[in-house]
Amino acid sequence: MAADRTANVTWSGSLMDGSGKIESVGSGAFGPLDVTWASRTEESGGRTSPEELIAAAHGSCFSMALSHALAEAGSPPERLETSATVTFVPGTGITKSALTVRGTVPGMDDAAFREAAEGAKQNCPVSKALAAVPEITLDASLV
Amino acid sequence: MPRIVREAAVTWEGTVARGSGVVSAASSGAFELPFTIASRIGDPDGKTSPEELIAAAHAACYVTSLGGELARADTPPERLDVRCTITMDQIESGDHRIVSSHIAATAIAPGADAESVARAAEAADAGCPISALIRASATVTVEATLEGGD
Repeated sequence: MAADRTANVTWSGSLMDGSGKIESVGSGAFGPLDVTWASRTEESGGRTSPEELIAAAHGSCFSMALSHALAEAGSPPERLETSATVTFVPGTGITKSALTVRGTVPGMDDAAFREAAEGAKQNCPVSKALAAVPEITLDASLV
Repeated sequence: MPRIVREAAVTWEGTVARGSGVVSAASSGAFELPFTIASRIGDPDGKTSPEELIAAAHAACYVTSLGGELARADTPPERLDVRCTITMDQIESGDHRIVSSHIAATAIAPGADAESVARAAEAADAGCPISALIRASATVTVEATLEGGD
């Protein structure tokens, strides 16, 4: 079954001096959120950016895939703490996404956890969508 | 060129089927949002999902590229509206994949005509780094219309 997810964004004015808004998303979960070129490429000033949203998408997708893999291996996690850090070079694009995860997983050893995390990194739908990113790294360990 | 770094943080508790997560904007602090597998695949029920975050990223990236292209053509926009729809589907292997991203843009740009907007929309797609990323593994389609145009 296909799932569609939608976002609506507006922009007024020039690239450098204008400003945009992620007005709304299909779920209603967030918006409006301001976006500007300056907050994208310099200090965020409390504003999100496409790259931060990609980091959020990657981190959330990876966490779900890992939780699924751990449950399949008979060791569902109590808790996973994940961070995703996306590096953007204007003119080049997104050059890196770095995933870090710390897991609380009763009954599992570190090696098995790292293997499950590597599989989640390879196979989660957002990792697949980011396959053209030159570098996707993973740092996984148990708490 | 400068390297720009943006970070998000996620906490997940429990199994996929019954657990839930929170994803937050660690760099900007702009959002903190719950998500679950049910809200990702079925009815969103007010919760976001990785695919919705991609839709927001792609729309926000594309809108700045389109604004830049229209300005380059000496028809800077007064206002742009961009809607992005990301579709995730189950492929033959049974895995889920993001299969397409569709952008629908509306421009108010004095001096532009339908043809120049179409050209700008295409150039914006080529210049938007997130279009390029998604296109490597999925279909990206773009349609643009000029509001108040011919």
